[in-house]
Amino acid sequence: MLDVKGLRKEYGELVAVRDIYFQLHPGDVFGFIGPNGAGKTTTIKMLATLLEPTAGTATLNGIDIVRHPEEVRPLLGYMPDFFGLYEGITVTEYLEFFAAAYRIPRSQRAAIIENVLELTDLTVKKDAYVETLSRGMQQRLCLAKSLVHDPILLLLDEPASGLDPRARIEIKELIRELGAMGKIVLVSSHILPELADFCNKIGIIEKGELLVWGAVDQIIQQLQANRVLAIKPLGAPEPLIQRLEREAHVHGVETRDGTLYVHFAGGLEEQADLLSALIHDGYRIAAFREESLDLEDVFMQITKGEVS
Amino acid sequence: MKRRPENPLLRYQLFGFTLNRWKRQPWLYGAVAIGGGLTYLLVLLLVAFSNASFPVALQLCLFAMCLAAPLMAYHLFSTEYEKQTWEPLALTRLTAWEILWGKWAAALARVALLTLLALPILFINEDLHIDLVSPFRGRFITIFEPTHALYVFVAGVSLLFCWGVLLVSLGMWLSFLLKRTLTTASALYAGQVFALALMPTLYLIFSEGETGSQLIATIRSYREGFAWWGYSLFTAQAILALNPFWAANELNAIYQAWETTSWNRTDPLYPEGLIYLNWGFAQSAIYLALALLFAGLTYRRLKHAWRK
Ligand SMILES: Nc1ncnc2c1ncn2[C@@H]1O[C@H](COP(=O)(O)OP(=O)(O)O)[C@@H](O)[C@H]1O
Ligand SMILES: [Mg+2]
Repeated sequence: MLDVKGLRKEYGELVAVRDIYFQLHPGDVFGFIGPNGAGKTTTIKMLATLLEPTAGTATLNGIDIVRHPEEVRPLLGYMPDFFGLYEGITVTEYLEFFAAAYRIPRSQRAAIIENVLELTDLTVKKDAYVETLSRGMQQRLCLAKSLVHDPILLLLDEPASGLDPRARIEIKELIRELGAMGKIVLVSSHILPELADFCNKIGIIEKGELLVWGAVDQIIQQLQANRVLAIKPLGAPEPLIQRLEREAHVHGVETRDGTLYVHFAGGLEEQADLLSALIHDGYRIAAFREESLDLEDVFMQITKGEVS
Repeated sequence: MKRRPENPLLRYQLFGFTLNRWKRQPWLYGAVAIGGGLTYLLVLLLVAFSNASFPVALQLCLFAMCLAAPLMAYHLFSTEYEKQTWEPLALTRLTAWEILWGKWAAALARVALLTLLALPILFINEDLHIDLVSPFRGRFITIFEPTHALYVFVAGVSLLFCWGVLLVSLGMWLSFLLKRTLTTASALYAGQVFALALMPTLYLIFSEGETGSQLIATIRSYREGFAWWGYSLFTAQAILALNPFWAANELNAIYQAWETTSWNRTDPLYPEGLIYLNWGFAQSAIYLALALLFAGLTYRRLKHAWRK
């Protein structure tokens, strides 16, 4: 289990990461989402024991990452956002290098390397030179290298950036598979849809602050309290907008394509009352529905500071 | 007995890269090897057929060392930064010492190889009486009978090797410090020009050509010699004394003193003083001490920056 307890990193005046807390369990695939410069890489580097936090810490299976980095390192696999591979050697030699560096007994290496090559779909390339691989293959090789010592936590910093759509799908499949294998996987991205379909948990970070984190459906539910009603009036919308803005539970109306999107703080009761009141007042309403939120809406709402 | 853990980094630095390159482009590397071999033979013949004395042959080898040693070290750590491979390496179970040793030892091995290559050149010259023109002027068995010749030869080889060790250790540290291969290479070459050419020239200008031989000629015991080193390290005198080219040049005085004793013992005091200074060996010891210092500094940086 990964327990992040108040991680904080300051660069002089700048607080790059502000007291982050979250917990992840085996099998969790955690999408760590935030715009560029939000502090994702800084957080991941601290978790990878490469950067010392200003304050706070985290434990992996009870081991403190700040006090015992050398004990945590064998338990984690890390793929940096920008990485290089040793050149002039073959894929197999590259993996052998890391297997030896992780002190995997010689007798087990061949089998392990065969396994990770299989998993990352690189078996056909096992005798190719590292620098001849495509970007997507290099990404998978970097991941393969992070797997030779069978880590329990995988930290993947923007693994899909710079990949073509096909390679993106392949890496997603791979991440899903790793979660199914019972590893804790933390994947960062600045693009939400990239993560939406295979994460069971997400955290949204902005300006160093973890605005919200938890299971995907829980977060969406949490936000239902602040839902959006889509109302399509017949005729000119202006009178209706003015009428709506006088309502107690309404705090904001946007118009898109002739539909009014009403930010509504009330519950189902108030929603029904609003509809009957509007009809009673003689407004002709063609459609009245609640907008269902998806991850993208959540992201947009949260990072606009509407919820926090 | 517990087996020492293998060091894949040492293997990679020593062989991985080179052997593979060799396999991939046998023609190119074959041509380079043949060209290098021929150049080497040419130099060997040049020294053999010329009247090059031992110091001249030694200075030739020193010059080659000054050019070649930086090439063995200037990239050691900077490529890890430039190619962004250091993070995965830092996270492996290799200890800071193993990483340092893997890189340092690979460079040291190359310096040792270069020194071995220099041996034939140092053998074949006028002074030691084994030249290709008249191979039987001196017999192999007896060449080192005169102890001075043995002294001069061993001191010369040790100067060459230790100077190389100092250069690669300094290069290793600089490549960690500067994190840029090109900057490190420039710093190493420019630094050598400054320390080996400009500084001694300045020294001789200010001392009006006085090299300090008068003081050395008064030294009559090893204890005084030791004191002289202590004194010289805190005065500008060290600029000359620690210059390997100067040291090689003065080895000639020791040799000549031996050669000419039976005829005209002109000024035996200065060469004797040099012997009491452990001339050649003292410089070697100081180079090694400095090399250890730079390796130690690299180790400290490694421990700190990579949180090892
Ligand atoms: N070494 C550093 N020195 C100073 N500021 C830094 C350093 N590294 C990152 N930052 C700052 O910390 C913030 C978070 O950066 P980062 O974690 O890389 O963001 P992300 O990965 O989410 O794009 C940014 O404002 C960045 O400028
Ligand atoms: Mg980043």
